[in-house]
Amino acid sequence: MRNLLTATTLILSAFSISAVQAAEGDVGVEAAMDDRYCTTCHGVEGIGNIAVEAPRLAGMESWYLKRQLENFRAGIRGTHEQDTQGIAMRPMATKLSDESIEDIVGWVGSWEYVPAHTTIEGDINQGRSTFQSCAACHGANAEGNETLGAPALAGQNDWYMVTQLKNFRAGFRGAHPEDTYGSQMLIMSKALRDDQAIINVVSYINTLQK
Amino acid sequence: MTNPVSRREFLNLLGAYGGTSAVLQAGAALGFMPSSSQAAEISLRANNGKKVAILGTGISALTTAWELTKAGYDCTLLEASHRPGGRMFTVRAGTVIDEIGNYQRCEWDDDPHLYFNAGAARIPSIHSSVLKYCKELEVELQVFVNESKTAWVQDDALNGGKPVRNTDYSSSMQGFVSEMLAKSLGNSEVDSSLTESESETLLGMLRSFGDLNEDMLYKGSVRAGYRSGGFLDHGTKKDVIALRDLLKTRLASNVMVTTQEGTGSGPLLMQPVGGMDRIIYAFANRLGNRIKFRAPVTEVMVKDDGVEVAYEQNGVTEVLKADYCFNCIPSHLMSGIPNNFPTEYTEALNYIRRGKAYKAAFQAKERFWEKENIYGGITWVNAPIQQIWYPPHNIHGKKGVVLAAYNFGGANYTEMSQEDRIEDLLKHGEKVHPNYRQMAEKPMTIAWHRMNHMLGCAPRWARVRGGWSDKEEQMYETLRQPVNGRHYLIGDQSTQHSAWMESAIQSAHYALADLDQRVRSEPA
Repeated sequence: MRNLLTATTLILSAFSISAVQAAEGDVGVEAAMDDRYCTTCHGVEGIGNIAVEAPRLAGMESWYLKRQLENFRAGIRGTHEQDTQGIAMRPMATKLSDESIEDIVGWVGSWEYVPAHTTIEGDINQGRSTFQSCAACHGANAEGNETLGAPALAGQNDWYMVTQLKNFRAGFRGAHPEDTYGSQMLIMSKALRDDQAIINVVSYINTLQK
Repeated sequence: MTNPVSRREFLNLLGAYGGTSAVLQAGAALGFMPSSSQAAEISLRANNGKKVAILGTGISALTTAWELTKAGYDCTLLEASHRPGGRMFTVRAGTVIDEIGNYQRCEWDDDPHLYFNAGAARIPSIHSSVLKYCKELEVELQVFVNESKTAWVQDDALNGGKPVRNTDYSSSMQGFVSEMLAKSLGNSEVDSSLTESESETLLGMLRSFGDLNEDMLYKGSVRAGYRSGGFLDHGTKKDVIALRDLLKTRLASNVMVTTQEGTGSGPLLMQPVGGMDRIIYAFANRLGNRIKFRAPVTEVMVKDDGVEVAYEQNGVTEVLKADYCFNCIPSHLMSGIPNNFPTEYTEALNYIRRGKAYKAAFQAKERFWEKENIYGGITWVNAPIQQIWYPPHNIHGKKGVVLAAYNFGGANYTEMSQEDRIEDLLKHGEKVHPNYRQMAEKPMTIAWHRMNHMLGCAPRWARVRGGWSDKEEQMYETLRQPVNGRHYLIGDQSTQHSAWMESAIQSAHYALADLDQRVRSEPA
């Protein structure tokens, strides 16, 4: 075996890069399909990735995903200096064309809905009571309401919802004058008195299934 | 600049440090130094065709594949990207930097000297495993110059923002520090603890180290070069930079410690001729079609008798069934890949934070630094670009590639557009070299935090300065144990000294030794 390898080695030449670099030529051609970078951060089939704080996309409504990608692209979301995760997302969106967004939305739509793992524990009863005002827009089972522009919450990563609620409450998200839906959410989030209230309501959402 | 810090103040400082007894204690420390660092001898039992899935093609994966292949294992490597090597990445004419949201293709002149080691760039002489493979795989090495005394130190707070030569800065700093230490000898606690002979040795060293005069005072040094003359005429010394002026920049902590062998920064370092990825391709070419490119892993399932790895290639999901799996996929990406690892293993994987690092480089129209008597080394800049490196190879050639930024962190660059990144490096660089902007051709930047299939640089374990917590040590041990004796985590993430190729290779050796033991204990 050693001899065989040595022979191969001689043929390939230690200084030849071409043997395995051939793949490089056609990466990143600027077509819609090549903007499909999502899974690097958001995980295989968009299951979400806590280690890079990228939320679950599998199961996200197409109209909501489209709006958020457009908001990121336009700087309506992800430009507040305290919105760390949003800032990380924004450069990914700024290069997208309308066609790329359509492609991504279709691609994400092909992934199976997978409820995210639970990572937090709060007072579910307290959360249920708080959720009543959320239900007006997001639905009694947090299933979302397209007419009102309120996305589904059930099944989403709880750590992501906690971050977003904190961001809304602090004005890191939803404060842009053109963020119509975000500004509504910003106002609603003021009803959450403190971080514990956020954890409680998200713990209740964890109990709901799509 | 007389008596900048009083002797009393200095002695108080020594006292605050805990007295001198600890420093002066004669001890066994001399005996603790390993006589030399040797690469591990890998001697795997020859094995007829056991299947091994290797995830990723960083240097730990390539080491694993190479050793196992030599021993007769049947290896398949799955690489998500279009290229092998992970963070061993060299940019040259035609190279694609697949940064998410900032795709770049390098259009430098097609010349073997014109390259940029965008990841690993330096090999210390004590990194025996890296050197062992360079020798085995016939990767030609050359000396890398990490420190040049003619390079610059630039800080807006120092010298009105005008750059100062490293040697002007460091010889003055060395002089003043020596002077202060010499003053502390005489009637102090230090002195009473030293024998006459020890005192003499120390004083002699300080006089030489600081280039002090007969009165043990620092009054400038010819080490900084002459203001005029020096060859046909007697040289005239330069003016001393006052200590208080030297202390206007915090760069002292960089400038004075550039060459520390133990931490891997020299003074003697090496680089492969033609770029760091020569090592990668030396492995990869020998492994040939065992490597599958653009084959991202989509699931890792550890079974009783092996491991099943799903991956996607050309839009089709395939399943690779193997007896063993070696995995160097960054832990933070594994968090987004379905698997059946035990809970404590997953928790440990999720605990490791992804490091950030930013580098930039450009092709210089001319080797302008050589006209300033610089032939390598590092200029330190008190700005986010932090460092400028000059190529030590192809001296007096036409062009060269200048490393124009190296920020081990660099989160602010992550969010900047390519145009802003370029303007930033030019703006700070031209404070050092007035013609910098005119000399810079086609700058390339890389924010490792945003690289596709990577999303980070060197992994970071410890959350607080000063060492690892017990919990961290425990999680580290958890990840060093193979899942079900089948799945090994490798790479610098699985070491306590990340960011070095040597660590990654040693992690592979550690895992291979475990595998070999298991294989040897199997019934024949």
